[in-house]
Amino acid sequence: MPVAIDQWYQRRQKDAEGDFYRQIASQGPRHNFENGTTQGLYMASADGTSLGYTNNRTPERVKEMLQQAMLQFRPAATAQINIEREDPRYNLAPPAGGLIVRVQARVMGGYEETEDAMKQIFQTALSRDNLWVSRAEHTSLAAGRFPKSLAHRIARFHLVDNTRGEPPMWRDSEIATSSFEINGTVVKGHAELSTASGDRRYSVDLLGELQTEAGKVIAWNMVASGKFAGDGRYTRGAPPGEFPLAISFTLADGNDIADAIPPQGSRGWLKGYLP
Amino acid sequence: MFRTNFFTIALVTICPIAAAQAADLTEKEFRRLHAELQPSKDALWRTVPWKTSVLDAQQIAAKQNKPLFIWAMDGHPLGCT
Repeated sequence: MPVAIDQWYQRRQKDAEGDFYRQIASQGPRHNFENGTTQGLYMASADGTSLGYTNNRTPERVKEMLQQAMLQFRPAATAQINIEREDPRYNLAPPAGGLIVRVQARVMGGYEETEDAMKQIFQTALSRDNLWVSRAEHTSLAAGRFPKSLAHRIARFHLVDNTRGEPPMWRDSEIATSSFEINGTVVKGHAELSTASGDRRYSVDLLGELQTEAGKVIAWNMVASGKFAGDGRYTRGAPPGEFPLAISFTLADGNDIADAIPPQGSRGWLKGYLP
Repeated sequence: MFRTNFFTIALVTICPIAAAQAADLTEKEFRRLHAELQPSKDALWRTVPWKTSVLDAQQIAAKQNKPLFIWAMDGHPLGCT
């Protein structure tokens, strides 16, 4: 039964899900649940007995781990764990009456050619995050006004290069400009983002269209396209100098399992992400 | 289906946006990039019926006598990168 998680949540959760995840992870090599990552690929029985672990993601090693785990697996009657209470700090729900927008980025050029298969994956990766829009912001959009709070959230948390890993978000002080406007069905914008030193920066234009019906947004497609420079602690390996980074925004329809995932920028700081 | 319908409608009835384009981003470029920046429906990992709750997966695994495969990352594997 395949499950995909950001273990930052589960290793902290004080509820049945957190307990069960830590039971499995504690049998592997990574069990510093307070300060260390427990990332990797795990196989386990439904009673929480570990069957295998690897953090190597090459197909050969993953396949080997899966095969070894299946050799150990013995089907047995196991009780289902009931979800009686969820730790509210780590179970975030999208804003009622708001919107979920899919945000996907790709570096459009600038990499030096490589024969390294893993580098090739990162260099061509299409990232995925979700933008949450509050009920009040949704109402404002439907009335033809682009809220400043939303313009700020897009700039700070979604105009980032997350194609090679977890990106550094922009600080308030690093947002020089973030302006959006709606004219009929057209949405356009511009943002200038830069660290104080200028070692990471993004100058970007945005253009899209937004369709409303009966006071609700029913379609929103938008693209950000501009020149990015720099990387972060977990996104090393960016192209040298300035490179083209494009980001798409698409109103989610709820048909993709990833639509339910909280924005990366809200992790541990929902009030900061969505005041 | 929704997206296809919307684009069909948009191309026919919504006012052209070229006149209101951002500085270096034309309507044509917007449409090209937006289409390009969508996930491939053929990507094998997207065909896996992922769960996003460990306990949801545990309940099904227990009921069906199957093991759990947990893809645990820093940043969500189905989001982030």
